Amino acid sequence: MSKLLEIRGLRARIANGREVLKGIDLDVAAGEVHAIMGPNGAGKSTLSSVLAGKPGYEVTEGTVRYLGRDLLAMPADERAREGVFLAFQYPVEIPGVNNMYFLRAALNAGRRQRGQAELDAQQFLKAVRDRLKLLDIGDDLLRRAVNVGFSGGEKKRNEIFQMAMLEPKLAILDETDSGLDIDALRAVSDGVNRLRDPARAIVMITHYQRLLDYIVPDRVHVLADGRIVASGDKTFAAELERTGYAYLGDAA
Amino acid sequence: MLMTDDSAPFRDAFDQLLATVAEPAWLTTRRRVEMDRFALLGFPTRRQEAWRFTDLEPLTAAPPLPAAGGGDGPAPASLAPWLLPVPTHRLVLVDGRFAPALSAGGALPAGVWLASVAETLRRRPDMLERAFGDGEEAFAALNAALFTDGVVLALEPGVVLETPVEIVHHTTSAAHARLHIALGAGAHATVVETAMGTGAGWGNTVGVITLGAGAMLTHLHVQAEDPAACHTAAVRAVLADQARYEACALITGGRLSRRDVAVTLAGDGAEFRLHGAYLLDGGQEATLSVRADHLGQGCRTEEVVKGVLAGASHGVFLGTVAVAPGADGTDARQLNRNLLLSPQARVDTKPELEILADDVKCSHGATVGSLDDASLFYLQSRGIDPDAARRMLVEAFAAEAIDAAGLPDALAELAHRHLRRWLDGGAS
Repeated sequence: MSKLLEIRGLRARIANGREVLKGIDLDVAAGEVHAIMGPNGAGKSTLSSVLAGKPGYEVTEGTVRYLGRDLLAMPADERAREGVFLAFQYPVEIPGVNNMYFLRAALNAGRRQRGQAELDAQQFLKAVRDRLKLLDIGDDLLRRAVNVGFSGGEKKRNEIFQMAMLEPKLAILDETDSGLDIDALRAVSDGVNRLRDPARAIVMITHYQRLLDYIVPDRVHVLADGRIVASGDKTFAAELERTGYAYLGDAA
Repeated sequence: MLMTDDSAPFRDAFDQLLATVAEPAWLTTRRRVEMDRFALLGFPTRRQEAWRFTDLEPLTAAPPLPAAGGGDGPAPASLAPWLLPVPTHRLVLVDGRFAPALSAGGALPAGVWLASVAETLRRRPDMLERAFGDGEEAFAALNAALFTDGVVLALEPGVVLETPVEIVHHTTSAAHARLHIALGAGAHATVVETAMGTGAGWGNTVGVITLGAGAMLTHLHVQAEDPAACHTAAVRAVLADQARYEACALITGGRLSRRDVAVTLAGDGAEFRLHGAYLLDGGQEATLSVRADHLGQGCRTEEVVKGVLAGASHGVFLGTVAVAPGADGTDARQLNRNLLLSPQARVDTKPELEILADDVKCSHGATVGSLDDASLFYLQSRGIDPDAARRMLVEAFAAEAIDAAGLPDALAELAHRHLRRWLDGGAS
């Protein structure tokens, strides 16, 4: 059975700038939760940006296969419609675009791509209610413009809510825990846990081990200086907890 | 050498008009005075500061002339997409002449005069005798000389006209129409004007608005003429104590358009709000010029104007707030924000303040930018294709000005519908 995501020898740099990813190899299977940890500047956010198709990066070498297809050949919006979701470290505020309007457009874009009928306003509203209930969040976020005036925690919860609505096959959570207090972290983590699914892979990128107390991963990788330098199962996280990145030496 | 001036092309039409209309002597005299005035002034040129950014060449090279007897007019069904989604008192002007067959005035409450200018001149010429100003600018002078018809709305004090008045200007040749609105003290009215048409026509409109103490006028103007057309409009309003003029202008049509709005806040505590947007593409040029003269104390002006410029279009915003000596307590804000969607698009923006009073609160600002890359990527990262993402951001940008106007629901719906029509037309 082919992996959901296969990254081979991926090298990338900031456009016209320094090389950040220096040969990444990573396999992620459906149903798995992977954590990618590492110090600042290791390339964690670059990896998520390259996977999501954010402009401003150049892949110089390597391949990324998603469901057997060349992910890097697809524009960002097509990746999303094919089931790749990036939860932003810094969700963007978009004044004047209503959260619901935006989300319905996004959801229906994906449905069109998959040959499914678009949801009408009523069906959409029902789906929204179901997900709000699942994630145990109020509907006050929905009446506002996308992320405008949201607190840090609200923005992150809105990302997870979008993930719940769009039902991705591959969700990349970029520092979803950063800037959250303990209550917000728990709420966001609960949401992610409820979205764990045998058909869905989740890649969590984080600087802090505390996230792994709330979302227990199947695999843990340490990214340092653009390479995955160590990998292990969930017990590996506990080991890292004790030793820090110290054993990585200069790379950390 | 034969001397000619800018009035030459209009002289035949002018003579013909005078020969055919039966109207009061004072008006004939007025027309002659205004024609001479236009001959003296000629079309404005770019050497005049207020016209520095406006290229009148598409109009002045060969100004369209009024069609004899007016055009046939549009099929009634073709008007439907442009109309308010609620019952209205509707008056349609075809090439500047009232078209009863397309109109639906409906029953009017007591204390309301709503009729064409021609009918008003027949039945109540006294209402218009003092409604022509002296010392008009060139386009307004030409309008006063050549006008064929228009709309008069007059409300007696205290009358609240709940049903909106809907005026459709359909232009295919040249239309010099007038709009006279006079609201008595405490009277309320809502007026929607839609300018549309086909071909390289020219609508040259004058609006004269007087609001009595505590009167309130909501005035939505949708300008959506043919991309080959020219449009010039001069609106002036005088506001008495506590009067409110709520204006919203949406400009998308015409090869060349220019809208001059001049508001005098004469009484104390008067309020003028203008919101709007110009959305242009191809080789279009539009100028929105707004002047607010604060004479009374404690008056407010608020202007929020958005510009969306695609293709090789050119948008101009000229905003002046002038605060006279003694107009203390003035609170005036002007904001003009522009979005350039292509490297060929241009914008000139000039918000200005002339403050001669001491105790005032005035601010003005202008921005010019392009679509935000981070927002575009965010939308695309959710599966929305780049065209739809751009459209969503442009709509949000322009809609902000409409929403800030706080229009009644039916008017807001019309404005949004028009905005979407522009977006569907394909901003390149």
